[in-house]
Amino acid sequence: MAAIGVHLGCTSACVAVYKDGRADVVANDAGDRVTPAIVAYSEREQVVGLAAKQSRIRHVSSTVVKVKQILGRSSADPQAQKYISESKCLVIEKNGKLRYEIDTGEETKLVNPEDVARLIFSKMKETAHSVLGSDANDVVVTVPFDFGEKQKSALGEAAGAAGFNVLRLIHEPSAALLAYGIGQDHPTGKSNVLVFKLGGTSLSLSVMEVNSGMYRVLSTNTSDNIGGAHFTDTLAQYLASEFQRLFKHDVRGNARAMMKLMNSAEVAKHSLSTLGSANCFVDSLYEGQDFDCNVSRARFELLCSPLFNKCTEAIRELLRQTGFTADDINKVVLCGGSSRIPKLQQLIKDLFPAVDLLNSIPPDEVIPIGAAIEAGILVGKESTSGDDSVMIECSAKDILVKGVDESGADRFTVLFPSGTPLPARRQHTLQAPGRVSSVCLELYESEGKNSAKEEAKFAQVVLQDLDKKENGLRDILAVLTMKRDGSLQVTCTDQDTGKCEAITVEVAS
Amino acid sequence: MLLLPSAAEGQGTAITHALTSASSVCQVEPVGRWFEAFVKRRNRNASTSFQELEDKKELSEESEDEELQLEEFPMLKTLDPKDWKNQDHYAVLGLGHVRYTATQRQIKAAHKAMVLKHHPDKRKAAGEPIKEGDNDYFTCITKAYEMLSDPVKRRAFNSVDPTFDNSVPSKSEAKDNFFQVFSPVFERNSRWSNKKNVPKLGDMNSSFEDVDAFYSFWYNFDSWREFSYLDEEEKEKAECRDERKWIEKQNRATRAQRKKEEMNRIRTLVDNAYSCDPRIKKFKEEEKAKKEAEKKAKAEARRKEQEAKEKQRQAELEAVRLAKEKEEEEVRQQALLAKKEKDIQKKAIKKERQKLRNSCKSWNHFSDNEADRVKMMEEVEKLCDRLELASLQGLNEILASSTREVGKAALEKQIEEVNEQMRREKEEADARMRQASKNAEKSTGGSGSGSKNWSEDDLQLLIKAVNLFPAGTNSRWEVIANYMNIHSSSGVKRTAKDVISKAKSLQKLDPHQKDDINKKAFDKFKKEHGVASQADSAAPSERFEGPCIDSTPWTTEEQKLLEQALKTYPVNTPERWEKIAEAVPGRTKKDCMRRYKELVEMVKAKKAAQEQVLNASRARK
Repeated sequence: MAAIGVHLGCTSACVAVYKDGRADVVANDAGDRVTPAIVAYSEREQVVGLAAKQSRIRHVSSTVVKVKQILGRSSADPQAQKYISESKCLVIEKNGKLRYEIDTGEETKLVNPEDVARLIFSKMKETAHSVLGSDANDVVVTVPFDFGEKQKSALGEAAGAAGFNVLRLIHEPSAALLAYGIGQDHPTGKSNVLVFKLGGTSLSLSVMEVNSGMYRVLSTNTSDNIGGAHFTDTLAQYLASEFQRLFKHDVRGNARAMMKLMNSAEVAKHSLSTLGSANCFVDSLYEGQDFDCNVSRARFELLCSPLFNKCTEAIRELLRQTGFTADDINKVVLCGGSSRIPKLQQLIKDLFPAVDLLNSIPPDEVIPIGAAIEAGILVGKESTSGDDSVMIECSAKDILVKGVDESGADRFTVLFPSGTPLPARRQHTLQAPGRVSSVCLELYESEGKNSAKEEAKFAQVVLQDLDKKENGLRDILAVLTMKRDGSLQVTCTDQDTGKCEAITVEVAS
Repeated sequence: MLLLPSAAEGQGTAITHALTSASSVCQVEPVGRWFEAFVKRRNRNASTSFQELEDKKELSEESEDEELQLEEFPMLKTLDPKDWKNQDHYAVLGLGHVRYTATQRQIKAAHKAMVLKHHPDKRKAAGEPIKEGDNDYFTCITKAYEMLSDPVKRRAFNSVDPTFDNSVPSKSEAKDNFFQVFSPVFERNSRWSNKKNVPKLGDMNSSFEDVDAFYSFWYNFDSWREFSYLDEEEKEKAECRDERKWIEKQNRATRAQRKKEEMNRIRTLVDNAYSCDPRIKKFKEEEKAKKEAEKKAKAEARRKEQEAKEKQRQAELEAVRLAKEKEEEEVRQQALLAKKEKDIQKKAIKKERQKLRNSCKSWNHFSDNEADRVKMMEEVEKLCDRLELASLQGLNEILASSTREVGKAALEKQIEEVNEQMRREKEEADARMRQASKNAEKSTGGSGSGSKNWSEDDLQLLIKAVNLFPAGTNSRWEVIANYMNIHSSSGVKRTAKDVISKAKSLQKLDPHQKDDINKKAFDKFKKEHGVASQADSAAPSERFEGPCIDSTPWTTEEQKLLEQALKTYPVNTPERWEKIAEAVPGRTKKDCMRRYKELVEMVKAKKAAQEQVLNASRARK
């Protein structure tokens, strides 16, 4: 069964398909793996993608960009108001809903934001069908974590209107984790993952806890004042000042020239992620004068250093908010096209020296690939009613066992981590010296940190009269089972003799 | 490397205290296969690990009653193996007391025990006589084990367990002790349920939700009971495919029939229970009482509202009445006051008049001869009639204070003034009357006097022209005059002014006369055209009358709408006129078409006339 994952971002959209056990991004008809989420309206047709982006220089007011920012919002929403004030298209309110008023020359059209999203989704569907054939319509769509119910439903309806069968809407950071298969192979572990998503218009950071193969968002933070567009803008401003220096013309007031510069700056920015320097060339930028300029990567990094600082500051802030240090993070996932910037990756590496930075998948394709994997999991299932059951019981505290290490000092090991979805069973093989005939498991509960106070001890399990072994170790199998209400059953078995002890600990009411 | 410590002396397995925190509820992201697995497990309402745990518990229980007491079946040795279908397999294996609750393990163990005891070889060794072939009762044991060890066959046998009580208590039985009667019955029947955790009947204090859940469960009872055991024909016995098919069909039919009966039985049971259940009655009564109370409360509220309204209305009425009364009182008072004043004035006037008369009389009416005196008296009477109170007083004063001559002069002056006034009034009245009569004459005789130079034809022409060039036409009256001059047969040249005055006078004409003129025109037309066909003559007259005797004139708004509609639906639109008529509310398709034709004609005529005027003015230049 083939399934589709779609990520619709503010600036670009990307589609991946799940086929034969693999998820892969599909290039659109122009050969690009990422399609600009831009729709241009003309008298009789609508153009989606690169063509719309290129024609935007001439038809600013009839080209819709960043539709995701207004989708499903009402005019009272401050975000929507900000968008309306910045938009080059006319946005009006009609019947309590926001509409684009687009002048296509002949007549004025009123366009729903949902309609714009639908066109982009249609384009994505077309792209996916180029490899799957036209009968695969099952899709998983990603949404930002801070999307409200209305926005989610608007996005889902837009996808539905485009002919998709929406299996589920999943959050972007979860999709990113899924793309790397974090926690999917060995579901018993527990780890914390930072998802760093630097998209076209916003930076969103999330700390996720992975436990038993399930993901939980611990904290999240989104800032709208930093994104790929800001890098481009910074570079474009630099180019404008450069042009002024050369030709004594200030083009900053000329919207069309600035847009040309922006496009050129964007191309330069992309190539600077891989090359040491990039060339900017704009034909007849202003009064017929061509503009040619070289930008080195060092120059770019210097220009953008305030933005980089903002990124690292945001990461620090989020860690502070979560109560974590850099050591608590086990993995960092990069997604969003702008996290390709080498300097940024370097900075993140510096922040988390002991952590592996996951960037093997191109960052702007991580999320759609995750969505496609999820779609592959869901497709063919009769019921996908998992949406309302996302509230589940989890264990509240770590269950630890006390032991001694080689030097004889007390040490604790987590047997049953907190946040484990219940009911659950964890099985550990512990070791005890073979020369003593008894073993004692002292069980403690604690909230995080691999240590516990003496009064946190809640039970002990003792195995007596075991066969003595002169050398070597004996294996003790400890099985902990926790029910949904939090009560715990512990069974310890000596692997050699088969002697067994079991206790059940209830929750204090 | 973590090593577990050894236990200290006297240390044993113990729980020092319970866990301090229960599980917390967290939101997880609905992604990944582990989430799906979790949800699936949860929806099945049991976790795999716990299923295993429970199974283990069961296993341990089983092992506990391993040494289950087998009941010897006293009739065992008398059983006829040929009649195995009617034997009680549980009893044969010595499990008669556990029956359907017996586990597989127990059955196996029981069978083993029975085999050890009753195997022909064993008995032979013990010196018992053995029947040859399959006739030994041991075959029954084998058969019983065969039935019970196969879960499908066991289920079939369980379904028709001969010890099961199929009876359904009647309604009358459960009149007084509902719970005692029905509780065991439901308990008994709950074993057929496919679902576990069959809700219990409960007692009088069960909550509404529980009772509801109970009955909805039983009304949707999902039973696994089936009746394949009672099949009359055995499929295996069949010799060929067709026969097998036929047997299968027969069996299926009987099974379905029995299943239906079973369902009916359960249904009857639940129905009986439901109708007898004192709790249902209670709930119904409560519901009723609640509704009643609500109704009452509503009625009460409505009544109160009504009362309040009534009160308010009455208060308002009262206020209105009071105000009215007050007003009336005031008016009356004022009227009274006015009357009084009037009376006083009247009296004063009367007095003054009397005084005047008296003074005149005392002055002997300022004359000596009789005739003069009479005339004077008349004049004085006139004065008395017409003069106001103030002037009367003044006059009296003059008369009283002055000498006879002065008084006479004053009086005469007054008389003269009065006479003058009267004369003036009369003149005015005359003038008014004259004016009126003149007007009347004008209106009636206007046409007559006009007809001197306005012939019948010209009048018609004028009417036509006026209708042709409606108000608002550029230099309308000049155009009309020009039109008249061109089309008139009388040869009289008319100016715009003539035309205006004539048209105005025509407008004043009552419709009757207008009709008359039209009729005359029609007659004349008939005369001119001889015996033209009726239809032919009707058409032009209709058109002529059309615009002026239209049923309802077109308002400017309608006109605008029509023009708009004409523009929006161009000539080639299918069903153009229907659409236009739709766009103009209150007008039919025919109306619209007629109006359109009129307009076209009008526009054409207007254009022609204007051109002529233009030409004329050019020529003048």
